Amino acid sequence: MFKQKSILFLMFAVVLMMFSVFGCAPQAAPPAEEPEQVLIGIMLPTTGAVAENGIDMENAIKLAVSEINAAGGVLGREIITTTADDGCDPAMATAAASKLIAEEVVAVVGGFCSGATLPTLTIYGDAGIPLVIAAANATTLIAENPGWAFMINSTGDMQAEKAIGWFQERGVETIGLIGDGSAFSADLVAITREQWEAAGKQVVTDDTVSPGEMDFSALVTTIMAANPGGIYWTGYHAEGALITMQLREAGYEGVIIVSDGSSAPAFIELAGPHAEGVYCTAPPFADFLPAAQSFIADYQAMFDRAPGAYAGLSYDAMHLLADAITRAGSFDGAAIRDALAATDGFEGISGEVMFTEENTLGRSNFVLLVAQGGSWVLAQ
Amino acid sequence: MTLWDILLQQLFNGLLIGAFYGLVAVGYSMVYGVIKLLNFAHADIYMCGAFCGLILLTFFAPNIGNTWFGIVVALLISMLVVGILGVVIQRVAYQPMLKAPRLSILITALAVSMLLYNAVLLMTQGQVRAFRTGIVDESFFVGSLRMTDTRMVLLISALLLMLILHLFITRTMYGKAMRAIALDHDTCRLMGINVHKIIALTFFVGSALAAAAGIMAGVHYGTVHFFMGFLIGLKAFTAAVIGGIGIIPGAMLGGLFLGLLEAFATQIPFIGTAWKDVFSFAFLILFLIFKPHGILGRRVSERM
Amino acid sequence: MAETKMKEISLKPFERGTERLFELFDNKIVLISYIILTLVFLIYLPLNSSRFTQQIMTNFFFFVVVCLGLNIIIGFAGLLNLGYAAFIAVGAYVTGILSATYGINFWLTLPFSIVAAIIAGLALAGPTLRLRGDYLAVVTLGFGEIVRFTARNVEFTGGAVGLIGIERPVFFGIVLNQITHFYYMFFILALLAIITSYRLRASRLGRAWEYIREDEDAASAMGINVVSTRLYAFIIGSCFGALAGSFFAVKMTAISPESFTFIHSVMILLAVVLGGMGKIPGVVLGALFVTLFPELSRGIGQYRMVIFAFVLLVIMLYRPQGIWPDRQGISTKL
Repeated sequence: MFKQKSILFLMFAVVLMMFSVFGCAPQAAPPAEEPEQVLIGIMLPTTGAVAENGIDMENAIKLAVSEINAAGGVLGREIITTTADDGCDPAMATAAASKLIAEEVVAVVGGFCSGATLPTLTIYGDAGIPLVIAAANATTLIAENPGWAFMINSTGDMQAEKAIGWFQERGVETIGLIGDGSAFSADLVAITREQWEAAGKQVVTDDTVSPGEMDFSALVTTIMAANPGGIYWTGYHAEGALITMQLREAGYEGVIIVSDGSSAPAFIELAGPHAEGVYCTAPPFADFLPAAQSFIADYQAMFDRAPGAYAGLSYDAMHLLADAITRAGSFDGAAIRDALAATDGFEGISGEVMFTEENTLGRSNFVLLVAQGGSWVLAQ
Repeated sequence: MTLWDILLQQLFNGLLIGAFYGLVAVGYSMVYGVIKLLNFAHADIYMCGAFCGLILLTFFAPNIGNTWFGIVVALLISMLVVGILGVVIQRVAYQPMLKAPRLSILITALAVSMLLYNAVLLMTQGQVRAFRTGIVDESFFVGSLRMTDTRMVLLISALLLMLILHLFITRTMYGKAMRAIALDHDTCRLMGINVHKIIALTFFVGSALAAAAGIMAGVHYGTVHFFMGFLIGLKAFTAAVIGGIGIIPGAMLGGLFLGLLEAFATQIPFIGTAWKDVFSFAFLILFLIFKPHGILGRRVSERM
Repeated sequence: MAETKMKEISLKPFERGTERLFELFDNKIVLISYIILTLVFLIYLPLNSSRFTQQIMTNFFFFVVVCLGLNIIIGFAGLLNLGYAAFIAVGAYVTGILSATYGINFWLTLPFSIVAAIIAGLALAGPTLRLRGDYLAVVTLGFGEIVRFTARNVEFTGGAVGLIGIERPVFFGIVLNQITHFYYMFFILALLAIITSYRLRASRLGRAWEYIREDEDAASAMGINVVSTRLYAFIIGSCFGALAGSFFAVKMTAISPESFTFIHSVMILLAVVLGGMGKIPGVVLGALFVTLFPELSRGIGQYRMVIFAFVLLVIMLYRPQGIWPDRQGISTKL
């Protein structure tokens, strides 16, 4: 008698566990979709070491969504979003992508870490879901793109070009490159080196630091010894600010340029007075378009903090997607993809959007900023 | 800059960062000594100390100012607060695990670590915060060695703290008790030592020192963020092992040694900054193969 | 002793209940039918579940293989390893390089992967096996980081960007590129890992491991070569990891050093200890928990990791020997 009961109990427990696993999973969090709503997926690192950027981008996307909905939604329907955390990890990203597809999103916006976004491209492609990549821009993404992903952040080529152009304008003969070992940073360093050496010039130092590192004294000493005319930092603002401070304190007087990873206002805040005169290759943002001013104010009002480096691009990505859906006239994945590819003359706050055949940005959006008086302003 | 100048500068760089490593490494060593645990959460205690200091300096700036006086006050209060945090963690998380399998308590330490840094992640939304102080830093040169006031003060403070700790360990009854417990818990109990209390004290001191290191790092580097403990945790941990785990002067020495090693390693042509960390680890492994008990470790026959 | 009275509360009734459970399973019929039921369930799962579910289960199977691999090292042989991700990386990169750069057929890369794993296991274990447990922990951690940094800094391994364009394997003419294919591939791998683990534990080697774990000196006195027996543990453990890594590489078609960090090693370690070191069903359960929790709790949003850490802490405090119960009702003594 007891044994039978236990058997039953056991079977029940096992079955319950199995069903809780599988029954729950797809329904874990998709917002109930009513006929008047459309579900858009957001894939970003909202936990982990780069959570700051992921959260910032998610905020910007939600701001855009609220604006679109206030203006009547897209094709008459209200947009609701669901966020899947990719944790800047390739394996987690594939799970995130699968989850979004299971929730039957119409399209996805996001993609911060290039390494994590890479394996999701084929997943979205196979499922016929368009992806607008707001920030990730390593060149490896281009090769692996089956055609359903669109990158609205200019690639490394254009960014390197901008930096090199400025170095040359300032008469710099030798440069030092610093990366942080991430896919995007290493990519940019390689491209810059290639272009610089193709111009017949020398790269005298090429260093890689670890993210999270705070002490760069050894690096600084090495750079001071080699004394390049210019330094290009290709990583994010946390280490960028520290490196800048430590270089300047050591008496380094050359030209310092930082990449778009460090274009957040936080860079200036962290580097303090040493940020003055530092240049930045960045997507045009902030003070350069009237529309951007209200974006900053709205973002500040809604989230009680200043927008980060990729907030503008994420905001644009969402608006672009809404625009494409409207042009496509339907929620069909292929139609949206075609509409995205045909984008012409879309003005985002980061500049005009137009795609090449490889689904990368048609013209370089990058501008050169300089830190002056506590904020970024256009340098040229 | 000549090679000499570079090496001299790297010597100073190495000493300073080595001092930080040492302060944090001491905590690892002390805790290992008394309860044989590699406390993974220690690095996050360091981070908590830095944030505690940040909060104090930000919210109490009007009362204490944010120049040296304010920093010292913030430092002392942080040390106290974080020291207590360390004791609380020990009581809640480690104490019940003392008789459990060794790996389990390790996982517990990992869990505490995850809890701490994820909590701070949530509170700061992942943002890096600026650690603003009112100190105006002047560079001056001693020969060709570039130094600033702040660096000198920090280096001296770190060394001073380590000296105080050393005196505490060797000259006071508490220190003696700690060393005794590291040898044999049960005999200590028989001798009338309140093992309970001494362990708590160990955690308090270790955590306080880590908090001090955290604030000094905040002052020195100017930024703090939720993951700042991770890298220095690994390094300090390595330093503690190099010096001989469980031996406090060893941890200090190990810290300084590692700091210097890293600074000089970047000068070696094939290594540079990219391979700096690999070099440290490879060195550690080789070191342990040839001198398994660390610099100051004794050849005590051990059972696994 | 005063301090241990605190947390003894919950174990007794739990132990009794699970004792009954085990008595249940002693009945062969029950055990076999349960296993068959589970197998059938898992085999038919992909037919009517979403991609997401299959993705998670595939991750779970992958995790089972690596956790069992680590279990051999720490559970069976009693050695610490904080850098297990390095072995997975070795397998993944060997397959990745041979496949992407040299165009070698995936199935042919597997033997190379195993050879690389053996070399890695030897390289790590060889000089360090005489070290005390805690030093071994640090060394394995260092090894893990060294492997990762090497992968990141060296051009041959693709640098920080990693390797892309790893070809999908072809099996009797079918290109394996659907999640369902990988589900079954990893399912088979997981089954093989479980069976192999059981066989190992019952073998002479397995018994030697247990002996060494319980009393090193006695084992040595009985003629067991402690060093080489432990070496075997490292090598076999690393082979599990490398094989899993190879399959991982073709599933992702792109690998980078970011997938093999210390955090990943920690998660695997966590799963093994959580489930119950050395107990194979426990390890599987631990793998299930670590794989499922982040996915199921996606709804919680940002608080997810804090809650995970908290749950982990609580489980460790109340069940330090892992979730899976002990067979003979051994208490928490080491």
